[in-house]
Amino acid sequence: MEEKELISIGDTAEMLGVSITTLRRWDESGRFPATKSDGGHRMYSKTKVELYLHDLFAVAKDWCVNEIEIPSKFYCPNRAVFEARLMKMMDEFSKTEEYKDNFNFIVAIAGEIGNNSFDHNLGNWPDESGVFFGYDTNGRKVVLADRGIGILESLKRVRSNLITHESALTTAFTEVITGRAPEERGNGLKFVKKTVIDNSFGLVFQTGDAELIINKQEKGFHLRPSTENFHGCLFLLTF
Amino acid sequence: MLVSRPAGKEASLAYAPLLKDISQDEPIEVDFDGVMVMSPSWGAEFLDPLLLQFDERLVLENTKNPSVQATLEFLEETYHKKFKRA
Repeated sequence: MEEKELISIGDTAEMLGVSITTLRRWDESGRFPATKSDGGHRMYSKTKVELYLHDLFAVAKDWCVNEIEIPSKFYCPNRAVFEARLMKMMDEFSKTEEYKDNFNFIVAIAGEIGNNSFDHNLGNWPDESGVFFGYDTNGRKVVLADRGIGILESLKRVRSNLITHESALTTAFTEVITGRAPEERGNGLKFVKKTVIDNSFGLVFQTGDAELIINKQEKGFHLRPSTENFHGCLFLLTF
Repeated sequence: MLVSRPAGKEASLAYAPLLKDISQDEPIEVDFDGVMVMSPSWGAEFLDPLLLQFDERLVLENTKNPSVQATLEFLEETYHKKFKRA
């Protein structure tokens, strides 16, 4: 099919929130190829750029698994930026009629997951700090990711017998670790699981070489090895 | 929006001086009117110390918001203790 609208590398860089240098590198590596204009300039299909931005899970995975630069609109370098964007998401969802009955659960889940990344990686980020945070009201999904130490390393501080990422995921999603302050060990993932199931949402949570899945309408979760192995967390909520 | 652990802790610390001189029989009322979203991280940091200190004297008001309800039920299950609601 002939592409109707081609945009310049500058406009593409602006839409994606990455630098022109990055786009040139992505073109040379074949990761995000450009087409050449008659004058030899790099041009991009606007549709393809829009599709890239909508595939939030793939973009997040590229960042936390393949360590590829992400559009700045998705990157929250610190908790203040994350919470400001979470407020914006709450504002958008609360004004959308179809989410009036469940937007507070969607925001609460995103808040728990995103804040967990900052709580459990403080002073311990292996490489890049911060979180990926994207959402799509039409696509009905929220995606969060971090390049932190992951669930296993975090839980080993209080459960030294944990060895595998799958066992760490099971513990995080099912067991009460501690139930009393001032021990800052959250039970947020159990709240996330319960809220996802109670609202018939769907969930994918990847960490290390394992992933936990809750399909929509199901009352339990599945664990399986993931195709990637990375040191952070990758989360998809569908509703 | 009451969602993060640091925000819950900060709120707890901010209220602590007000609770120092409270009389023995005075109830502690926490009003959730206007709260749109709440999650357990905030709740654990703010409510758990109050529950430990004031137990039955802690009364929660306007808890109808679904995420407030879900959070309180989750904390009750975690702590094996019921919050008193107005």
